[in-house]
Amino acid sequence: MKLELGFIEIKDIQFSNESKVENGTLFVNADDVKAFVYEDDDVKACVKSVCFDIAKPGESVRITPVKDVIEPRVKVEGPGGEFPGVIAKVDTVGSGKTHVLRGMAVVTAGPIVGFQEGIIDMTGPGAEYTPFSKLLNLVMVCTQVEGVHQHEYEHAVRIAGLRAATFIGELGRNVTPDETKEFETLGIREGLEKYPNLPRVGYVHMLQSQGLLHDTYVYGVDAKRTLTTIIYPTETMDGAIISGNCVSACDKNTTYHHQNNPVVADLFEQHGKTLNYVCNIITNENVYLADKQRSSDWSAKLCRLLDLDGVIVSQEGFGNPDTDLIMNTKKIEQVGVKTTIITDEYAGQDGKSQSLADADPLADAVVTGGNANMVIELPKLDKVIGTLDYVDKIAGGHAGSLRPDGSIEAELQVITGATNEMGFNCLSAR
Amino acid sequence: MVKEIERAGIPVVHVCTVTPISMTVGANRIVPAIAIPHPLGNPALTPEEEYNLRKKIVNRALEALTTEVKDQTIFEV
Repeated sequence: MKLELGFIEIKDIQFSNESKVENGTLFVNADDVKAFVYEDDDVKACVKSVCFDIAKPGESVRITPVKDVIEPRVKVEGPGGEFPGVIAKVDTVGSGKTHVLRGMAVVTAGPIVGFQEGIIDMTGPGAEYTPFSKLLNLVMVCTQVEGVHQHEYEHAVRIAGLRAATFIGELGRNVTPDETKEFETLGIREGLEKYPNLPRVGYVHMLQSQGLLHDTYVYGVDAKRTLTTIIYPTETMDGAIISGNCVSACDKNTTYHHQNNPVVADLFEQHGKTLNYVCNIITNENVYLADKQRSSDWSAKLCRLLDLDGVIVSQEGFGNPDTDLIMNTKKIEQVGVKTTIITDEYAGQDGKSQSLADADPLADAVVTGGNANMVIELPKLDKVIGTLDYVDKIAGGHAGSLRPDGSIEAELQVITGATNEMGFNCLSAR
Repeated sequence: MVKEIERAGIPVVHVCTVTPISMTVGANRIVPAIAIPHPLGNPALTPEEEYNLRKKIVNRALEALTTEVKDQTIFEV
């Protein structure tokens, strides 16, 4: 399966009467985006208002509570469309051509659960901790129709964000990309014949699926109702996996992370040079022990069946998913496949506690995204997109996190993408 | 908590969903629970079925409490 990504560099976003992409500037008519978003019945029924704003790198702007971050893309050649099974009809994506509006994102904001959304600062120390401070963000602040259940509202805001990203992505359909890149995954036999001497490497991609608004969707299917399976890496570039997560901001995978998975990018970079990148294995993180056992059994089975030499395992979230991570790692190692895991740590504010809830000697190659309990200070910023009402309650915050002078003291956990377990961020001990 | 109470000389049964974590942290008597959001219940069942399920788990835990163990033991329900 081969996919060509055409990157259109977005260098500025401006509100305008007409929506278009011209010379690297995205012009947005907010009313048109809103009308498209509201064509969905669930959005109509659950979302009282949507208000658009623009946040640019370096501006004194704090966006909170952040739900999801989405990169606008559009399928220009080949089967299917972006976000298959959710926005586009179900069809296998990951081949043909896709245009990417690079350098920007659609950010959904406004309280859903309240304590499980995040913060994006566009300047200052907070900006250093989130990759999304470097993007031009078209922010949608949403409010809830009174009486609507939380899970219905989460669904509606999820759809609203994806629809807005679809509308914006569509504006790039007829724009000539600034750069194009090809990604190809070969069939099993083809790969073996073409790269007989290269190690066969796969990627075990763990998806948050604890339920109660901690969910991920694959082609529209709730991941907690799936068995571990195989997916082409390029499918994820077309939005086959989307975030439905209201969970600690620092280590949840937003839809943007899934679209731009750095493990996929780096494995493709090495494909045919130092390794043969075989495929992705997606597996869930459910709350029943039997599910954990079944899913990790299946991960190991598939690794063995595919005759992999090694895999990278990335986790999402923390706590009981640490057990899914360790079960996967242990069982995969036991069938003779080497593993390296990517996780993050909850080692206490002083960093002296046990980092993961579970451990095993076979998990002996670990990459960490950082300690989510580390305490940080964020200065007051001039403008808030959304509301500061939840800063004290957000996971990682505490009573008094928001100080009277407008500054914030909280754990790193509060920042969207800070300790991402795909290795998307750049925290380093060096 | 399990370990500290045992250190004080009182035997403990850890009823928990993720038994591998319980093993890692060193509980001696472990009884598997239903699911993380509802360890001792199951919203998919009728109230009567759920009552029986709870009773079964608690009885198993009491049985575990009065059983001598030499190693860490999981008492399947």
